[in-house]
Amino acid sequence: MKIIVNGKEAGTKEKGCALCGATWGEYYEDVDGQKLFFCCDICALEFTNMVGEVKRRNNWNRIDELVINGNYYIGRTCTAKYQEKEYRFYVKFNENGGIETFKEIS
Amino acid sequence: MPVCPFCEIKLGSWKELAKHFNDMANNRSDSKHVMWLNRNISINRMGIDELEYSLENFFTKPENLGLWIRKKFIEKFYGDKPHPFIIAMQNPTKGVLLGYVIEHQHFLKNWVKILSSIVFRTDKDDVMMYELDNIKVEFIGYESKPSHYELLIRMGESLGMSREKILSIPPLPATRSAINTWRKIAETKSWLETMAAMHSLELVADRSLVKYGAKLPYFNPSILVSDKYPQEVKDFLREGYEADISHAGEALDMIERYAEEMGLKEEVQVVVLKSFDAFSKYLLARLERGFEIEPNLIKEVFYR
Repeated sequence: MKIIVNGKEAGTKEKGCALCGATWGEYYEDVDGQKLFFCCDICALEFTNMVGEVKRRNNWNRIDELVINGNYYIGRTCTAKYQEKEYRFYVKFNENGGIETFKEIS
Repeated sequence: MPVCPFCEIKLGSWKELAKHFNDMANNRSDSKHVMWLNRNISINRMGIDELEYSLENFFTKPENLGLWIRKKFIEKFYGDKPHPFIIAMQNPTKGVLLGYVIEHQHFLKNWVKILSSIVFRTDKDDVMMYELDNIKVEFIGYESKPSHYELLIRMGESLGMSREKILSIPPLPATRSAINTWRKIAETKSWLETMAAMHSLELVADRSLVKYGAKLPYFNPSILVSDKYPQEVKDFLREGYEADISHAGEALDMIERYAEEMGLKEEVQVVVLKSFDAFSKYLLARLERGFEIEPNLIKEVFYR
């Protein structure tokens, strides 16, 4: 999965956290067979919850590309791509890494 | 003396604080410390020396506490990327204003409860007077004028939602979470820290922020003379617009004076930042409520 966070590629220690783009910390999580870098366990949990929700709602078995814009304060507007399909959504998390708000954007 | 803004432990120097952050964020990936750095310093990892410099700068400049609070408020809500709710208030739709009404009724009730806790605990007469006066304006009404709370409900009614309906809607989780943050502050911190946590938020409607670098006003003042909005909307917005300009400044002066007297400057800074985080979450809840009322609003807010 190719991940773009606020205009920059992310998901490795060099490029930054797969959810927020930060380069602090060092935490790894396997997502769909890919070892992704996160700055902390909460970002990892939020990311896996978000990916799971997108796959569940679309009945996809994976995501090819995920573009994330935003941050903790304002929530995140995202575009997920799988093959030729594209899915836009807004997501915001609660303090425990759970999804608090998820809205599809048509 | 530097204080860790999350653990709230005192450290002997900025270097010690930088080492503490380095250990917690870089060695342990502790989410609370990483998030604090992401939100306040930078998303980019720093070495101990650079982090020491950044932390010292962050907490000590400007030196004047009142000005420091103003500056941080502007950075967080009115800087290069203003909060989406502030942007939406430049040309608010019915959904934005109803979202404001529904969530803010809960904020205002909690507001006066917390101010009451300051009255209960302070030994300063000027603080008591200030808070009692504020409770009167916000919740009781004064000089035959309706309270801000009443004006808020009337604004909702003028937009087509009945009083009964407004009062029956519980807060969104984000509003509830923010309220819990402020209640916890009131329950566990000194009256001064509680006062700082609450009254620093009144800067949101302080028109003088533009003078200090805010990119936008709280709302577009042309609304006050526009025919597009019901009189009740203008009445509510005008009250805050006219009241808070001197109000927040008066509170900041008291906070600064008593923080010096009580030796609580760093503690006040830490709690103000926590309060700003809760406030940001709460402002977003107003918009989220608006998304429920006007589904297209989400696109206008995030894809304009």
